[in-house]
Amino acid sequence: MYEFSPIGPRVAQVRQTYRDSIPSVCVERFLLVSEFYRANPTMPPMIKRAKNLLNLCENVTILVNDGEVVVGEVGSRYRASALFPEYGIGWLFQEIRSGHFLDRALDPYAMTQADMDAIMPWEDFWAVNNLSAYTDAALPPEFADIVGNGVVQFGIEHTGAGPVGHFCAGYDTLIRKGFGAIKTEALERIDAMKGRLYGEDALKEEFYRAVAICADATITLARRYAAECRRQAAECTDLARRAELTEMAEGLERVPEHPARTFLEAVQSMYIYQIAMSLDGNLHGLTFGRVDQYLNDFCQADLAAGRITRERAQEILDLFCLKIAEMNKIWPSFATEAAGGYTSGQLITLSGVKKNGTDATNDVTYMLIECARRLLLHDPPMSLRIHEGTPDLLWDAAVECTKACGGVPTFESDKVIIPNMLQRGLSLESARNYCLIGCVEPGGCGDDWSANGGPGQESFWRIPSAVLLAINDGVNPMPHFDGSPQTRTGLATGYLYEMETFDQVLDAVKRQMEYFVDWQVAFTNIRESVARHYMPLPIASATFDGCLESGKDVMWGGARYNGTGTAAVGIGTATDSLAAIKHMVYDTKLVSAREFYDALMAGWVGYEPLRQRVMKETPHYGNDLEYPDEIAEWISKVYNDKVRSCVGIRGNHWSPGFYPVATHVAWGKLTWATPDGRKTGDPLSDGISPIQCMDVSGPAATLKSALRVDHERCGNGTLLNMKFHPKALEGGGKAKLIDLMRTYFDLGGMELQFNIADADMLRDAQIHPEQHRDLVVRIAGFSAYFVELHKQLQNDVIRRTELQL
Amino acid sequence: MDRGPSTVGTVYDIQGFSVQDGPGIRTTVFLKGCPLRCPWCHSPESQRFHIQLSWQRSKCVGTQECGLCLDRCPKSAISAAGSEPVDPAGNDAAGGGAVATIDVDWSRCDDCGVCAEVCPAGALSMWGKRQTVQEVLERVVKDRPFFERSGGGVTISGGEPLSQADFTLALLAALKQAGLHTALDTTGYAPWAVVEETLPYTDLYLLDLKAVDPDAHRAATGVDNAPIFESARALAARGARMQVRIPLIPRFNDGRETVQEMGRFVSSLGPAVTVVQLLPYHAMGVSKWDRIRPQGPVFEAQTIPEDRVAGLKAVLEQWGLSVQVH
Repeated sequence: MYEFSPIGPRVAQVRQTYRDSIPSVCVERFLLVSEFYRANPTMPPMIKRAKNLLNLCENVTILVNDGEVVVGEVGSRYRASALFPEYGIGWLFQEIRSGHFLDRALDPYAMTQADMDAIMPWEDFWAVNNLSAYTDAALPPEFADIVGNGVVQFGIEHTGAGPVGHFCAGYDTLIRKGFGAIKTEALERIDAMKGRLYGEDALKEEFYRAVAICADATITLARRYAAECRRQAAECTDLARRAELTEMAEGLERVPEHPARTFLEAVQSMYIYQIAMSLDGNLHGLTFGRVDQYLNDFCQADLAAGRITRERAQEILDLFCLKIAEMNKIWPSFATEAAGGYTSGQLITLSGVKKNGTDATNDVTYMLIECARRLLLHDPPMSLRIHEGTPDLLWDAAVECTKACGGVPTFESDKVIIPNMLQRGLSLESARNYCLIGCVEPGGCGDDWSANGGPGQESFWRIPSAVLLAINDGVNPMPHFDGSPQTRTGLATGYLYEMETFDQVLDAVKRQMEYFVDWQVAFTNIRESVARHYMPLPIASATFDGCLESGKDVMWGGARYNGTGTAAVGIGTATDSLAAIKHMVYDTKLVSAREFYDALMAGWVGYEPLRQRVMKETPHYGNDLEYPDEIAEWISKVYNDKVRSCVGIRGNHWSPGFYPVATHVAWGKLTWATPDGRKTGDPLSDGISPIQCMDVSGPAATLKSALRVDHERCGNGTLLNMKFHPKALEGGGKAKLIDLMRTYFDLGGMELQFNIADADMLRDAQIHPEQHRDLVVRIAGFSAYFVELHKQLQNDVIRRTELQL
Repeated sequence: MDRGPSTVGTVYDIQGFSVQDGPGIRTTVFLKGCPLRCPWCHSPESQRFHIQLSWQRSKCVGTQECGLCLDRCPKSAISAAGSEPVDPAGNDAAGGGAVATIDVDWSRCDDCGVCAEVCPAGALSMWGKRQTVQEVLERVVKDRPFFERSGGGVTISGGEPLSQADFTLALLAALKQAGLHTALDTTGYAPWAVVEETLPYTDLYLLDLKAVDPDAHRAATGVDNAPIFESARALAARGARMQVRIPLIPRFNDGRETVQEMGRFVSSLGPAVTVVQLLPYHAMGVSKWDRIRPQGPVFEAQTIPEDRVAGLKAVLEQWGLSVQVH
């Protein structure tokens, strides 16, 4: 059994500061970027992005807070969110003008009147000069024809406000090589082509210049932090802190320009780079990758040389995690319902196999689990890579961690994901070096522009709506927001009552699914073609394998490997819907197709007995039953085959996935009643999980059903969310839970995550939030403090079938 | 005697991943019917041998929208009830609103099941299902990969499985033939001849013991404990592996003396007993009593404080027993 150590008073103090702080909006970045963009209207985007970053790094406020050893801040105050107007920020202007900005129910932010007054005059300027507006303008007119279909999630306005995020940069390269060497290489490549720009050389030359500028920007930022540390050291009367500030200053004078020499320098190098990337882009899902692999050599060297103690190494990591937790980004109010709780998606991947195939578990692996378990942090999220040789002690520590801190870590299987990476074309070494990105999406670590969240805003796709359109002649039954009925947005596949066999229903569903995957891809490829022009990422490209060699930005396909990911939501709901139609209408004929159709189009209103019968009689996905499970397998095959056949604009193949972040609740609200008996507006099923409370045959059966989705072909990840009662882990329960997971992974499962929670306790937390402030739960794609979530997301956790052992 | 794949038994539940019923990950088959009438029983639906009606008000969608059951009962045992909130917590079909549901007149009901057939919501349903050994086997072998990883298998429980001796023996034989680890969760209340027949097919016995004192046992459970103790001794003598499970019931067997006696007896069984599981009373079964035909006052008790349970555990451990608390 793994023994966790207690946290020290200094870490406890920093944690308290974090938990007691209220996030605020900082306008500093907004104003610096605004002035810069206005002053430089003609600068080419590649250079503009680099110089914009340099301008930020030269001018943002430098903050070294009490007790910190790892420094870096995106705002001018502790726990402040920066603003990213160049991506489109109309939503914020609207929220401020509405007068309700300060009373947001979820993810509230403080903002002074002076700050609001400072940004409002820029509304007109940014209304046209932003990525979202450029994307809107680039959409062909036929996109208007399919808006409102309910399957693909985009409109024809404000389509580009999301981040160009979801990737894992080359932190390891940065730590070991340093920006100085990267800059030198870029300059040498410019020199080599000086005066002779053939072919695409002009673009390459521009890219190298941008990389060199970004190197300067990051080094400048670090130097400014070093100066602040020196200033504080000079004033500090506490000798120990003065020495520490001096050590921090020396480190920041060294990294990220030069290779890190010590553990602290390695951590600091990684973090200052993270801050630079965060200042540059509207980033979310800015994934750290395999931190234990980057850092362990430094840790061991310091320990061996007596430079640090194990306790000091742990303290540095504790404070590093608290820095990550502190970083946050404000989301539009409507988006907080789907992903609230100040989540920032800076995922850390632990353990797995090394590039040579042996177990990669090391001291830093355990230390990072200690961080999550003892600090009860929902951020950074962590994923634990599991393989045959995962030590029992690590299993134990991880289960204890997720028990205390819901869903941290998630469990990911090398056995499925490595072959998957190989299928995508990664070398064996790169495949073995994969990490998890965003929520649960596998991608290469520092060499793969996997665009798991699409190239921009998360690219989601609602399967249950495709089923609805298939049996309603291509019309989404969900009315427009103003109550007016929809017109046909899908293919005219006829009505349920015209279909004589269930195979005709399946054929209609397949056609709608393929049709809307194509639309999704078309939209996303267009969006990427716009985004890569205006928002290249030289700061990230600088450390990616392949970019300096090819002279191309990651957005332009410069990384060694490329992909585009997407994810489908609601396979459980769609499966049970088709099973219900098959069972009720075609197999048992308990109800006529016409009556079933009428009841569904009435949203089941007035048809309660029929709705109940449908739910009672239909065999449900999640119970290891062939009847529904073969439908789940069919849906995943149709979806996977189609998505995998699509091509992205970097010449890459697309990867399908099944995970929802937490949109299954928000989009459930926008989805009409479904044939499984679900009412209009109720949540959809999450990931590849069964419909909440319909898995009544125990977790082994749930897992067997989930295995019918072909995980090895889901390159963009699957997500299976389970909830166990705390009693389940008592006695020998923990070992059995671990065996349950091992069996799932033996049989080809990709990912598992747990909440170990008692529904009564969760209900109590709704009533007495103040008594449960530190209760962390996993929603779908992320963990959060339960009391900071939207009530509907809270209820979703409560409703999930509580598995007893 | 006809024992084989087509032997039929009355099963009331099959539970996957029931990990407290023996080693590893297990699937437990619960058989209906028990000769004991323990008032604290947390599975009251397991006591009667016949398939019986369950009525769960919180699932009823109401007579206004549905009412399909009202005219169906051949015995006129179902009538319309007044309007009331069926579940103030809101975890019901009506979302906590007031619903006009039904009343079941248990004195008229003969568990024929006609109403359950028409009830769309499953508010009226039947406890128990006639299943063949083959059907049960097909269900449980699905979990085989989980058994293999964890050293688990199948547990047959109840009710009292030995009361359906033919079915239980046929199922045990079929499970062994399929290469699965078997456990039999029994009160031991069966003729030794029946118990003896299970020996070749049973890897582990989970033997439920309530009290050593014959009078106390008879008063509480309605049956004599002599056959139970005879089974226990004989199993031990024949080298069977056993886990002894003792429900700790307030005011019945939670006194130190009582536990002391139990410790003496269990230790006398020798190395056959690998572990003793203490199962402190919990009230989780109470709501189930409302769903079935009333059979006297519902047992009410407080849970036993943890420190007290720990003390009783220590008493057993003094007898050299390995004790777990669940």
